[in-house]
Amino acid sequence: MARTFKIGIFDDEEKFISSLKRLKEQKHSVYEVFTPYPVNEVLHLLKRRTRLPTAAYFFGLFGIVATLMFLYYTSVISWPVVYGGKPFNSFPSFIVVTIVVTILTVTILSLALFSGRSKLYPGRDNTIFDGRATDDMFIIVMDTEALDEQSAEEAGEIMRTEGAIEIINKEIETVYT
Amino acid sequence: MAIGACTFVIGLFTDRETTWAGYLVTNYYFFSIAMGGVFFYLLQSITQSGWSSAFKRVPEAMMSYIPVAALFFLLLYFGTHDLYRWSDPEAAAVDPLIRSRAVFMNVPFFYIRIALFFALWIIFIRILRKLSLREDSFDPADHEGIMALFAKSELYSKIFIFILAITFTLSAFDLVMSIDAHWYSTIFAFKNLVAAFLHGVSVMILIIFILHRRGYFPFLNKYHLHDFARYLFMLSILWGYFWFAQFMLIWFGNIPEETVYYYVRWQDGWKVMFFLEIGLNWAIPFMVLLPIKTSRNMMVITMVIAFLIIGQYIDLFVQIIPGTTGVLKFGLIHAGLFVGYAALFALVVATALGKAKIIAPNHPYLEESLKHKF
Repeated sequence: MARTFKIGIFDDEEKFISSLKRLKEQKHSVYEVFTPYPVNEVLHLLKRRTRLPTAAYFFGLFGIVATLMFLYYTSVISWPVVYGGKPFNSFPSFIVVTIVVTILTVTILSLALFSGRSKLYPGRDNTIFDGRATDDMFIIVMDTEALDEQSAEEAGEIMRTEGAIEIINKEIETVYT
Repeated sequence: MAIGACTFVIGLFTDRETTWAGYLVTNYYFFSIAMGGVFFYLLQSITQSGWSSAFKRVPEAMMSYIPVAALFFLLLYFGTHDLYRWSDPEAAAVDPLIRSRAVFMNVPFFYIRIALFFALWIIFIRILRKLSLREDSFDPADHEGIMALFAKSELYSKIFIFILAITFTLSAFDLVMSIDAHWYSTIFAFKNLVAAFLHGVSVMILIIFILHRRGYFPFLNKYHLHDFARYLFMLSILWGYFWFAQFMLIWFGNIPEETVYYYVRWQDGWKVMFFLEIGLNWAIPFMVLLPIKTSRNMMVITMVIAFLIIGQYIDLFVQIIPGTTGVLKFGLIHAGLFVGYAALFALVVATALGKAKIIAPNHPYLEESLKHKF
């Protein structure tokens, strides 16, 4: 099923943010946004919240506990070896390993969670709204089905006055969500 | 202040050694806090930070304590023999290690070094303060003149921070580490540097909060608070890192001449202090300032600062006292000295704050600081 999208392309962050702000003020629904780097305001403007930091905190706790338990098991229970007169449970020397392994655990688990949550996995097809979306451009994508004719016009007008370098209407055959 | 002076004099007659040790602890304490202010100032001007530019008069005022500290460190001359065992000629006669170090660690050269370091610091502090004050007298429209001045103070900050890194390292070795004449740790000075930075910044934030209560910084918002909290958080992690690096390597290496330092600090009462030190300076700031809500709350930050202020005292107490008197006792002498120094520090800082406008009106990034948001 083909759907038509209105795509505004910006080469400047300020113009992109101010037009996004005005679009939200006019209560136009924005379908998707692409930026070359994370822009903090986008989260606030699109009223999106992320719970990834909370998840990362618990991954960190899990990493600390799991690593300490593993180190305790290997060096005290399973295979106790005396190193230079140290006690088997030589806790201070575990800490460095624990820090490093915890960082690794948090990184990998957060990446997995993030990818899973945004449905990114090997072999997935992706909708390419515009070739420049992965380039240095800021892109606003609006679904024309969610807008009526008049508000689509309005949205285009807002983006034009705010300084979009190009506004295109594009028909896309299959949209992967 | 009078209390401090009285306790000092009375203490000298009743218990010389304790008094001099307490004197060194408190003296170094406020010196390191002033140094933390200097560090903060240098770092802000090198990185051209905008957010903190409205508060820059506070670290500047803290800097002005350094000349006072210099005076007190030179007064230490009369207590050298009570504090530093290496300065005792009899000890040198029987101890080959002290004898072999005598070329560097002898009393005249020790004080020459202290005088030299303080002279360098005072010169640079004067230059920076003068540049900062001259900025006020400029016409606000004279952008080029202000920017030239700004670049100049940045250049001096860059030079100063290198000098400070080297001289502070050496002075920490001299003043604190040489108390335990047989023990050495190369990371010791960096740990002290970070401790000075951490506690200097915490006292600076406390001063800013007090001034805010009095109505001087009406624009202080939650983003400023968050940045302050992040400063404390980051520095407490760094402090914990250095503390642990020193402890862990000595613990694991298990070389007698190194472990003796921690062996003393691992006996009955000292063990409590030992854990209090890491708890107050690292664990509490780390745990409390981790969530975003607490790091934007002024009351919580103030509490953390209160813990840090106690923590720095314990840190220095654990570093200095075992090597001098070896008695774990916080007596009237220590308390009196601390109160006296605190009053003096407050007086010096308040006078310096009163001398100039509390917000530098011509700072090029002032606008950014007033409307700080992220």
